[in-house]
Amino acid sequence: MPYVVRRPDRNLWEQSYVPETVRGLGVTLRHFFRNVFGRRDTVTLLYPEQRRPYPPRFRGLHRLTQRDDGAPRCTACLCCQTACPAECIHIVAGEYPPEHPLAHVEKYPVEFWIDELRCVSCGLCVEACPCDAIRMDTGLHPRPVEARPHLIYERNLLLSISDTAGNVHTANPRKK
Amino acid sequence: MNAFFVWMTVAKIVAFVLFILTGGALMVWVERRLSAMMQDRVGPHRANLGRFRLWGLIHILADGLKMMVKEDFIPRRADRLLHALAPILAFFPVVVTFAVVPFGPTLDFAHLGAVNHEGPLFSGPWATTLQVATIDVGLLFVLAIAGTGVVGAVLAGAASDNRFSLLGSLRAASQMISYEVTLGASLVGCILVFGTLRIEQMVLWQHQHVWGILVQPLAFLLFLVAGIAESKRVPFDLPEGESEIVAGYFLEYSGMKFAMFFLGELMEIVVLAILLTVFFLGGWDVPFLFADGLHVDLPFLDTWVWNWPHGVVVLVQLLGFTVKVGAMVFLQMALRWTLPRFRYDQLMDLGWKVLLPLSLGNIAVTAVVLAALR
Amino acid sequence: MRKLTIDGREIEVAEGTTVIAAARALGIDIPHFCWHPELSVAANCRMCLVEVEKQPKLQPSCQLEAADGMVVHTDTPKVREARRAMMEYLLLNHPVDCPICDQAGECKLQDYYMLYDLKASRLWSEEGKVRKRKRAIFGPHVIYDAERCVMCTRCVRFCAEVVRDPVLIEVHRGDHSEIAVAPGRTLDHAYSLMTAHVCPVGALTSRDFRFQCRVWFLASTPTICPGCATGCNAFLDHHRGEAFRLRPRENPALNRSWLCDDGVLAFRLHNDHRLTAPELGRGDDARPVAWDEALAEAATLLRKVPKTQRAAVLSAEHSCEENWALAAFAREALGVERFFVTGRTAGTADDLLRHADKNPNRAGVRSMLGAEPEPLERLVDEATAGSIRGAVALGAAAATQGPAAAAGLLRLEALVSIAPRRGPLPEAAHVRLPSPSFAETAGTYVNARGQAQEFPQAMSPRGEALEVPDLLARLARRLDLGLPFRSAADVRAAVAPRLPRPAAEGGAP
Ligand code: SF4
Ligand code: SF4
Ligand code: SF4
Ligand code: FES
Repeated sequence: MPYVVRRPDRNLWEQSYVPETVRGLGVTLRHFFRNVFGRRDTVTLLYPEQRRPYPPRFRGLHRLTQRDDGAPRCTACLCCQTACPAECIHIVAGEYPPEHPLAHVEKYPVEFWIDELRCVSCGLCVEACPCDAIRMDTGLHPRPVEARPHLIYERNLLLSISDTAGNVHTANPRKK
Repeated sequence: MNAFFVWMTVAKIVAFVLFILTGGALMVWVERRLSAMMQDRVGPHRANLGRFRLWGLIHILADGLKMMVKEDFIPRRADRLLHALAPILAFFPVVVTFAVVPFGPTLDFAHLGAVNHEGPLFSGPWATTLQVATIDVGLLFVLAIAGTGVVGAVLAGAASDNRFSLLGSLRAASQMISYEVTLGASLVGCILVFGTLRIEQMVLWQHQHVWGILVQPLAFLLFLVAGIAESKRVPFDLPEGESEIVAGYFLEYSGMKFAMFFLGELMEIVVLAILLTVFFLGGWDVPFLFADGLHVDLPFLDTWVWNWPHGVVVLVQLLGFTVKVGAMVFLQMALRWTLPRFRYDQLMDLGWKVLLPLSLGNIAVTAVVLAALR
Repeated sequence: MRKLTIDGREIEVAEGTTVIAAARALGIDIPHFCWHPELSVAANCRMCLVEVEKQPKLQPSCQLEAADGMVVHTDTPKVREARRAMMEYLLLNHPVDCPICDQAGECKLQDYYMLYDLKASRLWSEEGKVRKRKRAIFGPHVIYDAERCVMCTRCVRFCAEVVRDPVLIEVHRGDHSEIAVAPGRTLDHAYSLMTAHVCPVGALTSRDFRFQCRVWFLASTPTICPGCATGCNAFLDHHRGEAFRLRPRENPALNRSWLCDDGVLAFRLHNDHRLTAPELGRGDDARPVAWDEALAEAATLLRKVPKTQRAAVLSAEHSCEENWALAAFAREALGVERFFVTGRTAGTADDLLRHADKNPNRAGVRSMLGAEPEPLERLVDEATAGSIRGAVALGAAAATQGPAAAAGLLRLEALVSIAPRRGPLPEAAHVRLPSPSFAETAGTYVNARGQAQEFPQAMSPRGEALEVPDLLARLARRLDLGLPFRSAADVRAAVAPRLPRPAAEGGAP
């Protein structure tokens, strides 16, 4: 079926522009006078003094959770890298040497990069992670930087970030 | 030409220049503050001197300071001479128009306290018109000067070596030339009615008869629309169309050069408001107030006269003039925050197919009616 | 012949065919772990149970021989329930460490779990699971994880039946059973990586591929193994311009379902020691330059050598197309009459797959030249003697090695090397021109049996590498000489009639 673009139906009165403009002016003036003389309708938040509380599930900067000994929980399964629609996660996997205390974990991320500039904060990486190793519960925004590469966060930096309560371990009791 | 005349002229010029400079800055604040109020926002209120914020008025100082210390950027491949000339040419017509508008009747320093029975315009050794220059062709002068406004805009765009600027100046040129026709034609009706080209005489006619808006309502509307188009404001702000061409012809300007465009544009609002007042709202005329005082002259009632000294009358008339200009400024601002921008074809259609025929029709009807009345 | 009905469709199969094979011929995939078309039947995983009319119990289709009039149902509620139950058994003690398991993504446990089970474990604690060996090194290429093992014994049967080297055995019983290397042995035969390949789960995995890439990122392109003159059919798995492994591609007439270890690892020819920009100079003077400069230098050098003292070196490592283009260029543009051939040095052979000639296309070079090329040693001799002073050489490997050969090559006044990677020939050259690797160009190999097999291009050339015909065309333009071909299509058309046999039976894709 051909798609018909419906033209708005306007009568001569509206089409003549002037009365409708006057009506529009009326709206503008109503707001003006109400704001100047009456109760204020302004909804502006005066930012540094007033702040809107963050929702509890706010997705901030990523962090990598630590094991009890400070090693990353991440096992470099690359699920997050696979899930990420912005393709901003890059992981190089490595193997713990046999004598390492975590040798039973076998795999760990030698390198773990997140380009926070490319990240669209969708949280899919967090959903995808089978180990609760990556979380976005830091409540932080990317800090301002002078060059783009500074916002490509590296493994140890990500590991050092804590959640809002200062916790660097997993916050998920099931994953203890 | 005596010394008094020279000194008075100099004084008026100085007063006007000061008014334009401070008024322009004030207009920035007015515009921002009014728009905020119209849009349920707070508006400028941050700048402060210690604990004083003065409803954001200090932003004027901050803005001014910023404009002055800002880098004066000139694009590498711009034409340096024309680039520097353009803001001056854009600012010039605004300033010059002020020269010929009467903002009050004649003021006689010798009789400030006496009741004036001679009428509003007279001459005397200590009398001075409240107008910088009284010239025969005042109205034509206004139109001619308005016509030069486009030069600055076109030069700015052409000299900037930026395609957005160039687009902006192309738009400005075609738009201003199109609407200038209506601007002039809509005033022809006034000329026919008032029978003069001298602006102070036009005001006098309205003082003695009725305001122009009552005899030429259509012309008022046409002049208002064409005037807004000339000053390139919403809904006719295509030359600057931020969403399409960034800032149009003054995109490549910064610092004081930008300020000249900016202030010039804001003062154009005042100029248009003054012209509307002078041509259609009786200029300095205040209802029932005559040179010798208040004459309340209602039907079925006795005329009631209250004589005021000359100085008071002129003061009230000046005040009346200011109020009218203020109202017109406010109207333009409110329009700006009410209407969306026109599309380019709509702009041209409106100019050539609606406003021009209407203004021509207005002239014809006015002429026929006048001929019939004679 | 036996005629039976599977899921309502009739099929006639040869006597002795199993039901699972008959179903496969119909395109019905019956889930299975232990069955493999090339191996004997073990019937120990019980995943392939199907319902056969008039038989009270479910039957393992991998063991059940097709009989006349048999009516088989592969997807009834009863069958599905049996599969679910089997999955529950198999996963009972399974560690489910998919995040660190290289098999994840191509694991039959994962696939069948998603298809037939999809239930949480009924085990109340992880602690209850039987723990077994993890990370057991079986051999140079293979690593074993007993917890993941489903004891299908495919690997055991593969070693015993295909390689005839029964190095893997089963040990212990029940929950504790696992695979082990026979005492005193390591899994080090030439087909050890195939044990990892036949393992349907992540129990046996490749040590080379370990943690290199997740398999779902890999793109697969059919290719011909460049490892030796057998020309096994394979898939090349690659991701973002990097190759990760070769996998066997079934060809019953040639390599069946197998590749040797060298074949699986032949992907390294694409990754390692690549030449990615044109270079001038030898040894310490070597420096990368722009194409224009390199070609100009090559032309100047070649011009200095009289026609009679020019030679061309073809490469048994390269495709027919590349060799023909060079031969045509040398003969018709340079006026070369002496043709030599180089390639990797010979190695071990066996009667399963491996051929002593470690080059995939020696037969092809012969067909392209229309004559037997001379061996590289002779070029070295003549260069040493001074009777050949300039050469254009394809390929990186020098069939002769040692200081004498190197010295001989160094005596050449103009050696222009066209090669995908570094090696003795490019090192001796005055000008090195990068060409695509085997994975970066489409072409044809002729194997030792004389079968011509085409393969497509998997990736675009790395760095500034140029396809050989294109590169030669530019060189000819520099030399102001005419060429007998203009495009890749011209080259293909010229090569086709020279191929020994039009594509071999069961060959190329
Ligand atoms: S939040 Fe989304 S875009 Fe950002 S890293 Fe995670 S998956 Fe990628
Ligand atoms: S999904 Fe989790 S465990 Fe896997 S690589 Fe990402 S952070 Fe590591
Ligand atoms: S063998 Fe399969 S199911 Fe088991 S851990 Fe590996 S990928 Fe997961
Ligand atoms: S495939 Fe039939 S029992 Fe394993």
